[in-house]
This record gives sequence, structure tokens and C-alpha cells, in this order.
Amino acid sequence: MIRFTVGLLLLFAFPVLGEAESGSELFDHRCGLCHREGGPGTFMLERRLGEGFAILEERGALSEAYIRQVVRWGVGSMPRFSRGEISDPELALISDYLTQPVDQD
Amino acid sequence: MELILPDQVTKETFDAAVEAFRLIVGEEWVLVTNEDRETYLDLYAPGDEAERRHAPSGAVVVDSVEQVQEIVRIANRYKIPLWPISRGKNFGYGGAAPVLAGSFILDMGRMNRILEVNEDLAYCILEPGVGFFDLHDYLTENNIPLWMSIPGNGWGSVMGNALERGFSRMPYGEHSNSICGMEIVLPDGEVVRTGTGAMANSKSWPLFKSGFGPAWDPLFMQSNFGIVTKVGFWLMPEPEATLTMRMSLPNPDDIGWLVDVLAPLRISGVIPHNVGIPNYMGSATTTTQRHEWYNGDDAIPDEVISRIMDRYGVGWWNFAITLYGHPQANEANRRVIEEAFKPHTEQEFSISYWKKGDPGGAPSPSVYPLRIVNWHGGRGGHIGFSPILPATGSEVYDQYRRTRNLYTDHGVDYSATFYVCGRHVINVNLMLYDKDNRDLTERTNNLFSSLVDASAVAGFGEYRTHLSYMDHVASTFDFNEGALRRLNESLKDTLDPNGILAPGKSGIWPERYRRGSQ
Repeated sequence: MIRFTVGLLLLFAFPVLGEAESGSELFDHRCGLCHREGGPGTFMLERRLGEGFAILEERGALSEAYIRQVVRWGVGSMPRFSRGEISDPELALISDYLTQPVDQD
Repeated sequence: MELILPDQVTKETFDAAVEAFRLIVGEEWVLVTNEDRETYLDLYAPGDEAERRHAPSGAVVVDSVEQVQEIVRIANRYKIPLWPISRGKNFGYGGAAPVLAGSFILDMGRMNRILEVNEDLAYCILEPGVGFFDLHDYLTENNIPLWMSIPGNGWGSVMGNALERGFSRMPYGEHSNSICGMEIVLPDGEVVRTGTGAMANSKSWPLFKSGFGPAWDPLFMQSNFGIVTKVGFWLMPEPEATLTMRMSLPNPDDIGWLVDVLAPLRISGVIPHNVGIPNYMGSATTTTQRHEWYNGDDAIPDEVISRIMDRYGVGWWNFAITLYGHPQANEANRRVIEEAFKPHTEQEFSISYWKKGDPGGAPSPSVYPLRIVNWHGGRGGHIGFSPILPATGSEVYDQYRRTRNLYTDHGVDYSATFYVCGRHVINVNLMLYDKDNRDLTERTNNLFSSLVDASAVAGFGEYRTHLSYMDHVASTFDFNEGALRRLNESLKDTLDPNGILAPGKSGIWPERYRRGSQ
């Protein structure tokens, strides 16, 4: 007999991305593909700015205005993100996360 | 990006349409600032002029099929051209940007629901915004033993990639072939379901492609006849085991016999997937920048090519074959393949194994290949020329020579992959540039046009192309003085009399925009 177990669980449309993600989760889902270890963003930053500037989460000195400029207008070969993909409130959460002081220990 | 109105639309009409869009989706999801327009440009366009030539006037972000219908009706009322996107990651082919400047983006990225996954019959039903990462995460987190086929850039939409006829080196790698059943909003706002989905209570929509009477699904691929809002999509059951065979070949001439050996194995089913044969370039472009190797304005010379091959231990051509299934069947097919190679090379295959329960079996999406856009530094971009060839060594070798000579003539580094797909080969030729290097982008555009023309003379057309070249490529499909174009136009004008849906997509222009566009 054919089972539809998984299908039944999903009778109600399942949104891929939840509504209440934290800044860290948003960064992970929307930016982390490129800006984690080994990603194209990390690779390019390392090549262009040096190793100490490669991992965004370790930069600390980023400002909210700069993050917005890069996300919406792009820099180098980084694709831009529309408000359809990362809304302004989501971008604010990501900025808060990235501009937190970095633990130097 | 300042506002560019679509041709034949006044500012007054445009503003009225924007107000009407807001009533449907709310103020926050109608995006019409200069900054908003900037975010939908084709970042990787071959030059700033190409980027501006395809600038949208705004975007409306929808989250349901009903909203798509309403937006389409408003677009008809005000005759605003719409450009539907799923996730807008069609990099190398135009990203999120439209063919016709001033088109309004219909952004379906928020329609990102996985509506069903059926483990036993191995399919899912997806909305346009579901990305490869999303589906992969869902299958992994829920421990569902179904595998996805994933293209080089895994950032995009599963549905969008399949509708553009994307492909990979996996079984199920012809992504358009995995679509079974569509829900479509037609250019007049009506919703239709294809295949057996045309029955209101169908139980076989994602299971049987044809339905009853004419089959419509292929008409909504690479076309502008409707907006696909759902697809049934087949997934691959996890195999018992895999056996992967790798080999690198040292000479450019090897491509001829290699294709002659692989094609019959692929056609007969011994090899269950498209075999990609990339040259040496990917090793260098994903890990280094050009200036680390060479600073000339001409294509990198043979001496540099040798150094690249030495450093990475790769061949001129490189390929992997994976066998999927019961270990004994895999071993038997391995022997068939090894026998087929024996007359041509003394090299042995490098072999690796995976079996159910081992880590790392199912392929994961990745954006790693996007690192190539850093090859020239600056505002890097890429574009690909991908003609379809017969899977015979002589035709493939001739096309390799023809293409490489044109690359050399234009001073562009030759970066190519031949995909042996069975009876045909798709030859993806990559061109990398820095948009700040105007000379290089001009040479790239000239190279691209030359490749389209020279390949057409040889009898080869492209399977997919960038926005800027859709008219040019469409013009090469010229049997009976362009009878296919006329058929497409007849259908377009019938389904979309106001010409509101993606004018110019794949070279198909509605009557309203036809004059002057040809």
C-alpha cells in the first residue's frame, strides 16, 4: 500500500523561511552561502582586502549605512538584494547582528 | 537607477498602475525607488550598457497565485509589461532583469512553499520561490531519502532553473524533464492546470505528464505564454550505492575520441547521467585571480595553461562518471566502461565508492562556482555561450577548434565544458570579465556575436542565452524564413493580445512591440 505520510504532514503549505528569524539566522540563510568559510564572498574579500577582512562576522567595524549600501547597491561582484528578498526590517536585524562588537578573546 | 518607463507607457499611466498594485499587495511590496530598481539589475551583464539596456521600472512582490492573477489583470488594464521572476538568480543569463527596459518585475520569491513531498512516489510540489538550498534543507532535516539534481549555481529556484531548461551531471539532470504538471496564470489572469491537474480532483497531477489531449508543459518553458505558479517535480530515490570513476586527459585533441566513447555508453544507459568534461580553467578561476598567472591582454598562452595543469594536477579535459544502484550492477557497468576506454588510453580510472548509510551521498547545493567572477577582479561578471552539437567526436572537435580560435582572436581566456547528454552534446563556453574593463567587455560581446554566427553556419543553435542575445539567437532558428518565430508570435498574440507578459523573452515579441524590435 502506498503511504502518503510526508504528503499528509504537508497538507498545509509549508513556508520555507519562517517569519520570526533572528539576525543570526537571517545572516545564515541569506548571506551565509557566500560569507561563511569557503564561500565566494569570503574568498573575494580575502583576495581583495586580506585575510583579516574575509569573514564578515569577525569584522565588527561594519556600519549599518555601509551594510545597506553594499546589500542594496552592490560592491565588486556581489549581487544586490532587493527588498523583496531581504526586507528593510530583516536587513536591520542582519545589520544589528553584524555590527555587534566582536569578542576579541 | 533612475526610472525608465516602458515603451508606449506614460508616467501618468505608470503611476496609476503602481497605485493599483499597492492595493493588491500593500505599500511595502511595491518597490519603485531608485534603490529598488538597482537591486533588480543584471549585475553580471556584459558591460554597463547591457545592464542599463535591461533596467526594470519597479517590482511588485507577491505571495499567492491570487495576487499574481490580480497583478496580471492590472497590467492588462494599464498595458504595463511584466517580467516574472522566481528567485532572480539566473546569473549569466540576465539575473532578475527583463529584456525590455521599463518592464515591471513580478517577483515571486516570497511564494516559497514546499507544498508536498511524497517519499514513495518520489516527487514534490513546489512554488516558484523554493530554492535548491531550501528543498535540500527540507529533505535533509526530515530525513527523506530523495536526492535532488543541482546545477552549478545552487542559489536559484528549483522551478525557475527547470523552466529555463537548466541541467546537471546527475541522473534526473535534465531538469525540465522532471517537471510533471504545472499551474499557470495565463496573460489574461486565468489559472489553468496542465496534465491530469486539469481535473479538479486529480490524484495523479505530479505523476503523469501528458494528461488527455495536447500536452502544454513545454510551451511554458523559456517562453512568455504564462506565469508558472506551481510545478510537480520528480526527485531521485536514494540509490543503494554509487561508484565514481574519474579521469583526466592531457591533450586538447582527446576530446574527439572521448565523446565517441562516452556517447554510446550514455545513449544505451550504461552511464545514467550527462557527463561534463571541463577543461583546466575552472581549477584556476575558482581559486586564484588572473594577474597571479598572466598580465597580457591576449588569451592566456599555452605556457600558462601548462602551469595551471601542473599546479592542480588536472588534465586538458577532466571528467567523472558515477554509477548509481546495486553495488554488483555498478561493478558490472564499471567493467563495460573500462573496456570501452581500453583501446584509447592506458590510463586507469580513479575509483571511489559510496553506499547507503555513509555520509556525503546526496549532492548538496553550492555557490562555490560563483567564485569565477573574481578572475579579473573589479566588478566581475560572466556570460555563457552554449550551443547544442551532435554527440560525435568529429563535430565536437571541429566546434572546439572553431570556438577556441575565436576566443584567441578576441583575446579571451578559453573556458569550456562539453556535456555529453546522449545523442547531443551541450558545449558551455564561459566568458569572464571585469565590467570596469571596457575593452575586455567589448571584446567579449564581439566574441559572443561571432560565436553565435559561426556556430549557426555550422548548424548549431544555443539551448539558452543571455537577455542581450535572445533576438540574435532566435534569428538563427531560421528554417523556412523563421517559421518557428511566426508560430510563436501567433500564439503570443492570441494568448497575450496586450503584450504584457515578458516581451522579448527568447526573441518572442508581442505585436505591440514587434515593429522595430526585429
